[in-house]
Amino acid sequence: MVVMVKAFEHVAKRMTLPRTLITRNPMGRPLGAAGDTDRQIEVLDAAFDLMDRADEPGTIVELETPFRPGTYRS
Amino acid sequence: MTHADDARSDDPLSFEEFRRSFYYGSRNDLNFKFFSNVDDDAAADLLQNLLALVGDAYDTGDIRPLINAAYLAQIAGYSPAPSASRSPHTYDTGPFTPTAMPVAGSTVGLITSSGHFVGGDDPEPFGVKGMTQDEAMDRIDEFLRETPELSLIPSDTSSDQLLVRHGGYDITSVVRDPNVAFPIDRLAEEKASGRIGAVTSTFFSFPGATAQGRLRRELPGWLDRIGEEEADVILLVPV
Repeated sequence: MVVMVKAFEHVAKRMTLPRTLITRNPMGRPLGAAGDTDRQIEVLDAAFDLMDRADEPGTIVELETPFRPGTYRS
Repeated sequence: MTHADDARSDDPLSFEEFRRSFYYGSRNDLNFKFFSNVDDDAAADLLQNLLALVGDAYDTGDIRPLINAAYLAQIAGYSPAPSASRSPHTYDTGPFTPTAMPVAGSTVGLITSSGHFVGGDDPEPFGVKGMTQDEAMDRIDEFLRETPELSLIPSDTSSDQLLVRHGGYDITSVVRDPNVAFPIDRLAEEKASGRIGAVTSTFFSFPGATAQGRLRRELPGWLDRIGEEEADVILLVPV
């Protein structure tokens, strides 16, 4: 089960990975913005749903939720 | 890999030189290193669009269009050109193992290429103690020729004990919150809520900017070690 950002979806396609969840996030932030706990859980839940549902190699699902800017404060 | 020839000086840069300076050059910015992959017109259009969106945000306070524009440009920047040759990592078929049970009853493991490790257990690449992120970026060429080392991270490690170093991507977010790419806390919460059955005792991470051939040679040993965790499901997070 792979979780990866949209920019590298073409890699998942050409490699025919078993199960891939694509997130609409910038590179380096596959599960979401720093501190965005709810979005990170949402991504994991979507990945686990895919794990339960996929039944053939090369299954790719895109999480349609757009990237949400974080509210991180140092 | 910093390009000394584009170091800031009084000599004016061409737009191409400016564009390429974001890729391990004088203006190195791993969020925008893809500028080196796009032509001058596309890069100029992106910059013009970003600046216009900044102007718009003065009034709206909404930076999402700005972030979205950068995000879409990143996708375009990393997309293979139509004329690109077929990658050696292209496979017409792939492996698939049906799950033996629902994820809610499964033990979940984690492997990332984010370059995380536990403080005090630094893999010390090239024998360097305490290598900084800047040093890792400066030595990216060496990393790309080097054998990667797999870091073992106990799954009950406090996330504030995690460190990260990876010369190939912008680590700003994962430094602030490891869960952005190494969801150690989130998996613990998923276990507590019953979304998953359990987590393995050890998670794994390595810096993905590495010699791919050497990585393949390491994999049998890595898989033996990972197999000891007896995971039902493994979450892979490439960065």
